[in-house]
Amino acid sequence: MAGFKRMMGASALALATFFVAGAALAGTLDNVKARGKLIVGVKNDYVPYGYLNDKGEVVGFEVSLAKYVAKELLGSEDKIELVPVIAANRIDFLTAGRIDAIFATLGVTTERAKVIDFTTEYVSAAGPSVLMAKESTISKWEELKGKSVCGIQGSYYNKKMTEEFGITLVAFKTQPEAYRALKDNRCIGFVFDDMTLQQKLKEPDWASYKIAVAPYEFQPMAGGLRKDDAEFREAVDKAIDKAEAEGKLIAWETEFGMPHSDYIAARAKAAAAKKN
Amino acid sequence: MLGLDYSWLADPAYQRWLLIGVVNTLKLAALSSSAAILIGMLGALGFTLRIFWLDALIELFVEVFRNTPPLLQMLFAYFTLSTLGLRVTDPSTGLSVPLLSAFACAAISLSLFGGALAIEAFRSGIETMPRSIVDAARSLGYGRWARFWRIEAPIATRICLPGLTNILTNLFKTTSQASVITVPELMYYAGQIYNDTFRTLEVMILVLLIYVALVSILTLAMARLEAFMAFPGYGRGL
Repeated sequence: MAGFKRMMGASALALATFFVAGAALAGTLDNVKARGKLIVGVKNDYVPYGYLNDKGEVVGFEVSLAKYVAKELLGSEDKIELVPVIAANRIDFLTAGRIDAIFATLGVTTERAKVIDFTTEYVSAAGPSVLMAKESTISKWEELKGKSVCGIQGSYYNKKMTEEFGITLVAFKTQPEAYRALKDNRCIGFVFDDMTLQQKLKEPDWASYKIAVAPYEFQPMAGGLRKDDAEFREAVDKAIDKAEAEGKLIAWETEFGMPHSDYIAARAKAAAAKKN
Repeated sequence: MLGLDYSWLADPAYQRWLLIGVVNTLKLAALSSSAAILIGMLGALGFTLRIFWLDALIELFVEVFRNTPPLLQMLFAYFTLSTLGLRVTDPSTGLSVPLLSAFACAAISLSLFGGALAIEAFRSGIETMPRSIVDAARSLGYGRWARFWRIEAPIATRICLPGLTNILTNLFKTTSQASVITVPELMYYAGQIYNDTFRTLEVMILVLLIYVALVSILTLAMARLEAFMAFPGYGRGL
């Protein structure tokens, strides 16, 4: 009997979820307030934006931002449910109503803008850069022409590396292999996400290396929301603006060991000026 | 029906990648197959000499290279040998670099792996040879070498051809593992193309067909060779 009740409960919940998803079109903000909880999709494997700390808690730059938004909307940063998402499922989770917002290293693209709305942009994520030995004199992408550079198989920029810059790409399956090969001098540098390489440089083993070639592109990152829900979007944007004006994002950069970016500093300044 | 989209094939970069991939796969397969056959012959010949320490040495070689995954052998050759000191100084940069390139590591590991299997195949050919033939050769006055080259080797080769075909086709397919140590063969580029285009199914189907075609050429050639070499009483001979 208890089993039956539980089953009925589950069905009711499923039904409720269905209606919530439907109702979401009417107004996510009302829903979130009625529920007393903001459900956010975050990364749990991507330092520094969203990852597991030593205690197994999900923390990170975007997790802090999501908690701040929850505090602004509901009065407490604990009124939040963090749902781990990956790049391949985050937009489906959002459109299906399983989460209210995405704060998971979501790059702003026109393709995605057709399906979802973006919050105000809060990070300018660097594309790939090149890690090389300190003695290296190379500083431009063009200077890597014909040189062997380690990389990772399947990276979205690999084609650009070989076809546009003429790099002889030596692409591995995993990062540890590429780092090993770089130390072995199998390649003169390692091309990878700038943020990850910056973190690597902090390790004592890598003291004699530097970011020799800076990223050639920056992609704005923003939160993702369901389309055409102006009320909710304005509320979330207001919360992000407030966090920027209070210098929170700069504090989170420090907290999560990110290099301070001019982009975030400029946004903080602009937001503070707007407020006054 | 499946909504297959092959428009990415129009991209000259992807065309070139696939071509380079096929060429490298063929190079690796040809090189390691030839070396494997050579190693197999030498090893089998070694066994017929019945020298105690040589037998033990060949046995050890076979056990080591037949019983370890070729992928592990490649990774070992690529990462571990250079760490153990197999390095040279690059005259242009003055840096200490690994002696063996990725391609060399893959070719050597595949040759040794295939060679170990081939030794066993050739040996089985020699050992299944009827004792009476060897005795007949002896009584006709053939010496050790003449007996091996003129009697044992020709018959053993014919007996072990089907087994050798199996080894060579397997070796051909195992070249796909060389992508792990960055040898730009067919699978290396296939992975990059479907990561770029998200056309996983289409790329996989194409690569599958390419492998089927290439390996079929090999097996057909081996079948022809078998038919050509057949003689009465053995294999396909009547």
